[in-house]
Amino acid sequence: MVAVIKKNAKALQESLFSSVGSSVLTIGTTYLVLNFFRGMFGFVMSSDKDWLAVLNNMQLYMVQAYPESDFIRVWVSVGLTFVFSGISIGLWRSEDRSNVSSIFDTFFKIGLGVLFFTIVAPTFTSYMGNDGSVITEEIFSRSTRLGILIPTLIATVAFFGLKNMKINFSYNNSDVVFLYLFIPVALLWFVKLPVIQLDQNKERIMPDPLMPIANTTKIPWSVIFVMFLIAYFIGIYFKDVKRLKNVMSISWFLLPLLIFSWIFKKPQIDMGEVLTGDIPIFFIFFIIGLVTVLFINNPIVKKYYSIYLGIILVGTIAGIFIGIPMLAKACLLLLSLFSMVVPAVSTSDQGKRSLIIIWFVALVTLTFLLRGGASETGIVVPGSSIFGGFSLTWLLAIFGTYVSFPLGVLLALGRNSKLPIVRIICTGIIELVRSVPYITWLFFASVTLAVFLPAGVEFNLIVRVLMVTAFFSGAYFAENIRGGLQSIPKGQYEAADAIGMSPFQKTGLIVLPQALRAVIPTLVSSAITAFKDSSLVTIIGLFDFLTIGKTVIDNQSVPVNFVGHQRENLIFVAVVYWIFTFTLSRRSMKVEKRLGLGER
Amino acid sequence: MSIIQAKDVKKWFGDFQALKGISMEIAEGEVLVICGPSGSGKSTFIRCINRLEQHQDGEIIVDGTELTNDLKNIETIRAEVGMVFQSFNLFPHLTVMQNITLAPIWVRKKSRSDSEEKAMELLNRVGIPEQADKYPGQLSGGQQQRVAIARALAMDPKIMLFDEPTSALDPEMIKEVLDAMKELAKSGMTMIVVTHEMGFAKEVADRVMLFDEGMMVEENTPDEFFDNPKNDRTKLFLSQIL
Repeated sequence: MVAVIKKNAKALQESLFSSVGSSVLTIGTTYLVLNFFRGMFGFVMSSDKDWLAVLNNMQLYMVQAYPESDFIRVWVSVGLTFVFSGISIGLWRSEDRSNVSSIFDTFFKIGLGVLFFTIVAPTFTSYMGNDGSVITEEIFSRSTRLGILIPTLIATVAFFGLKNMKINFSYNNSDVVFLYLFIPVALLWFVKLPVIQLDQNKERIMPDPLMPIANTTKIPWSVIFVMFLIAYFIGIYFKDVKRLKNVMSISWFLLPLLIFSWIFKKPQIDMGEVLTGDIPIFFIFFIIGLVTVLFINNPIVKKYYSIYLGIILVGTIAGIFIGIPMLAKACLLLLSLFSMVVPAVSTSDQGKRSLIIIWFVALVTLTFLLRGGASETGIVVPGSSIFGGFSLTWLLAIFGTYVSFPLGVLLALGRNSKLPIVRIICTGIIELVRSVPYITWLFFASVTLAVFLPAGVEFNLIVRVLMVTAFFSGAYFAENIRGGLQSIPKGQYEAADAIGMSPFQKTGLIVLPQALRAVIPTLVSSAITAFKDSSLVTIIGLFDFLTIGKTVIDNQSVPVNFVGHQRENLIFVAVVYWIFTFTLSRRSMKVEKRLGLGER
Repeated sequence: MSIIQAKDVKKWFGDFQALKGISMEIAEGEVLVICGPSGSGKSTFIRCINRLEQHQDGEIIVDGTELTNDLKNIETIRAEVGMVFQSFNLFPHLTVMQNITLAPIWVRKKSRSDSEEKAMELLNRVGIPEQADKYPGQLSGGQQQRVAIARALAMDPKIMLFDEPTSALDPEMIKEVLDAMKELAKSGMTMIVVTHEMGFAKEVADRVMLFDEGMMVEENTPDEFFDNPKNDRTKLFLSQIL
């Protein structure tokens, strides 16, 4: 035991006090960090701060004015995301194992941190009262300090002992993931929080009583957790089915669309229409596709392929003009695209099977989207926008990245293209988009864009914002990716040529994978920028996460009285932004590490 | 029956004429070694054979197909002609196995299991079956070049081109690559090898050529080439490198 402590002390000395310069740096930074912490602690704890301004407005923060009667849609969306994550984590379950000592080590370090900050936390803090006088108050009494210090000390020593016992027990790294969700969900059932309550005269009852968390929060989260767990085990069960991973990857790209339509639209579905329209159309087209896949490469049938394709193309064009259901039109279009790909891919049984799966999934998605997406929304929201708060920020960040990333890849490839027209157009778009400030583009979306769209086409403000965001971050992605493309040595192109690959194969299999890998850090920093820049939409009257905290809550007066409590909300908003960007950058570092395998 | 015919092939890089009219015929199964000082056009010539460079005058006919701008022809010929580069040019983001099976799966449309079986056979042939699941960056130069040979062979080419395959290697690794090439030559593959390895030329070449300033200055059997060269330029070249 003593030897272990000595070793640790020596390591500490070597890393922090190795020379005069580093000693000065260590002491200087410690001093700065301490002062910052003491100031922050005093600020957070002082009695003129009302943290209920944050706590009481969680719903506003998350979905703004989305009607409570339709909350089930929000929960379903969150649930779907978790189910998808669960299946994916299970499917791609890593075989990496960690020893239990590393957990004890983490707890030991946390314990040390808590001990340190409990010791240095200030006892008193002072703030400016309403009349300008300075009020000093005790915020951290000796008994509280001791009450925290003694148990933490015992726990820290215990963890130190446990960590050095070298217990031989390891666990799978992926299995711990659900613990991250389990702990907060379990806490929901035990924690009691102060809640604002009003008496008969609509006056706020002070002090606020402690209440358990509402069932409308607890139960959905618990259900989601259970589903997440089940999805995880389903994922593990199907881990070895190779094709499922591909299906899952594609599904992830469809998920935002699904969620978007699910929250945005509340279709009034007429079951009669579904039974007589959608389902028969779906089956007819599914069978046409199935027959095409199975028999197109039959030598007798193949002779008539061009006639078949011609009929479908004519049918598609005719279908646009004659009055058939929208679903049939869309299916025709999809079928004509599908039929062009089929002969090349359905050469083997394996190819046929995957084509049939793709065709089925595509038709189901199309039917679903058209039935749900084409109908009028039945959700009535006060104010201009159906999205607000965190859901808006999240939508702009995720959807913006989703659309802009492929766009960026295309623009980058186009700019490197040998065809002059493609190159000029792509360069033009990139340079035009990049040389105008994002805020200008936002105004463009809210004021001018309608002029550029064909007459009669009108989009919701959010959709317009998404369009300009996609182009704006797409241009930045494109330039990042172009940097990656230029880092590929000429030899790689020649080697791909020499084994007879077509230009598409060369780009998709050799050039892009390497180029994207090379620019992951810059891509992630672009994505983070896009996430944070989404707060600029406040300027065209959308209520994003930051606006809720800065403006909306600050203006809540009677009876809750949150006027002037802007600082608490700004700190909360900053912390939430930080959590998300930090997680993103940590994840990307892991991805980099995993993909970097071949580079060494 | 000659598998490659080149007639008066000329090529310019800007004002500089790299090839000043090269004509030759190569028979099926023949091993041809081309040597010459740097800048003599020997690499440019073999890169013209699978159209990594375009010749501007003259004609090249590979296995009955003339090289023109027609994309279909180029892809057919590239699938028939394997190439090994000086700097290996393996795909660093793919494992050795994936490097070798990439072209059979995507260009020849073979099934994955067949391609992998074939790849293992080729790795055995070049003597590194145990490296199949490693990435190129984890291999030595000699091992990488042998993977590159296996990658080219995976397409079942009729002709193999080697562009200074040993120039970027440490001396002790040159032998393992040359051994793989010798084995290949003995199996009856048509090979054109640009190299300065005179030992290799003596042992396996059917013919040796010397290029200088874009022209072929000597063409001879290996014995004659080394012991009794016709041209003074050849004597000078040999005296400098031997």
